[in-house]
Amino acid sequence: MAHSTGYTFGFALGVCVFCSIAVAGTATLLKDRQDLNKERDLKSAILEALQLGGDLDGPAIDETWDDRVQLVFYRPDGSLVTDAAAADLTGDGLLDMDDATAARVAVKGTDKAPELLPLYKRVDDGSAVGAWALPLQGKGLWGPLSGYLALSPDGSTVIGSTFFAPKETPGLGAEIQEPAFEDAWKGKKVMDSGKPSAIAVTKPGLAQGDHAVDGISGATITSRGVDEMVEVGIENHYAAVLGSLN
Amino acid sequence: MSSPATEVAPAKAPLMPFDKKTRQIAIDPLIDNNPITIQVLGICSALAVTVQVERALVMAAAVTAVVAFSNVAISLIRNLIPSSIRIIVQLSVIASLVIMVDQLLQAFLYDIAKSLSVFVGLIITNCIIMGRAEAFAMANPPWQSFLDGLGNGIGYGVILITVAVFRELLGSGSLLGFQLVPQVAYDLGYVDMGLMVLAPGAFIVLGLLVWAQRTWTGFTEA
Repeated sequence: MAHSTGYTFGFALGVCVFCSIAVAGTATLLKDRQDLNKERDLKSAILEALQLGGDLDGPAIDETWDDRVQLVFYRPDGSLVTDAAAADLTGDGLLDMDDATAARVAVKGTDKAPELLPLYKRVDDGSAVGAWALPLQGKGLWGPLSGYLALSPDGSTVIGSTFFAPKETPGLGAEIQEPAFEDAWKGKKVMDSGKPSAIAVTKPGLAQGDHAVDGISGATITSRGVDEMVEVGIENHYAAVLGSLN
Repeated sequence: MSSPATEVAPAKAPLMPFDKKTRQIAIDPLIDNNPITIQVLGICSALAVTVQVERALVMAAAVTAVVAFSNVAISLIRNLIPSSIRIIVQLSVIASLVIMVDQLLQAFLYDIAKSLSVFVGLIITNCIIMGRAEAFAMANPPWQSFLDGLGNGIGYGVILITVAVFRELLGSGSLLGFQLVPQVAYDLGYVDMGLMVLAPGAFIVLGLLVWAQRTWTGFTEA
């Protein structure tokens, strides 16, 4: 049956309005839950790097996080940002995930040194430092890379790592997110006779010694991106911080 | 001679009939008119999400929900839709439903939402959904359309899950994440079939399924 032009326009408008309300309504209703999921996902990745178990689920993640992980900030010269100063810097006196994200955004852009360097501290037995997790950011072939390198208390040896490559090709660049690649970092050194020294990502099969891991075959640009990300993080941004831990 | 008392009221069709003919609407797409093996629709997602059974299950559920409810929605407004813009109206309805499914997955099944990410969005372009809206829902009442959507979604899901079972078992030695091939076998030299994890593996399994199914039902392309 033929409809008038006016009717057609009116109908289209009605469908648009109805669909927008339905979609926007769902998104608004579920936003809190989705944000919680994203936060837990990030926490769980950091916990995994810190060797606190990556198999945790839901509230257990929050519990372990609150018990065992503290976020601290360092200045690029290696001095710890004290609580009072951190309260000023973060506004609300709480070092929460939002602040960590803001600080990580500041680490973005490899040529500009960030003003604040976040470090996640694993607390053992109530007060002792068990490990550090160092956030890293870089770029791969198709998009951003990020990762956490967990270091021993003296900041010299890698004890775990997690990498994110959301845009990289599955089966190639995205392989840096697999345990096979992440586990290769364990035991590698980021200090060389008292000086920060990055771990190179070499061509597959060529890695030798404490300062190199094998890259991914067929993902040269992603491997190079990880190499650069770690180099900038360790030898540039976090160099003084690592020196002060040592 | 008929008295008013015995006069039969004009037969009013029940709102949700469940007679044989109506049931057939839902049963047909499972085997005899399966959207994947007979109509060869929705192949791309059948290749993409069948590496693991768990993902295939979620994808099947998502597609079934979307095709069933989009059919109902389209069917409800089928007499109001101006035919000049019917395709874009169908697409808007489908796209809205898909976004809502995606949001629900992100809220309640985050891990799976992460691994399905782009494929959920691509449900919009799954030809089965648009095909059912245009071919069935535009011409049939809501209840029948719902059954048609349900049948097609499940018919799609059955094939998806069958392919995924083969691929996960042969490619990773597990089902739903549980290791089925024992470590002993690997120690003795058994190797997972790497091909099954890649897209060509899905092509081969799907091809064999189509062949088996068409031999069984005796279907030939017209």
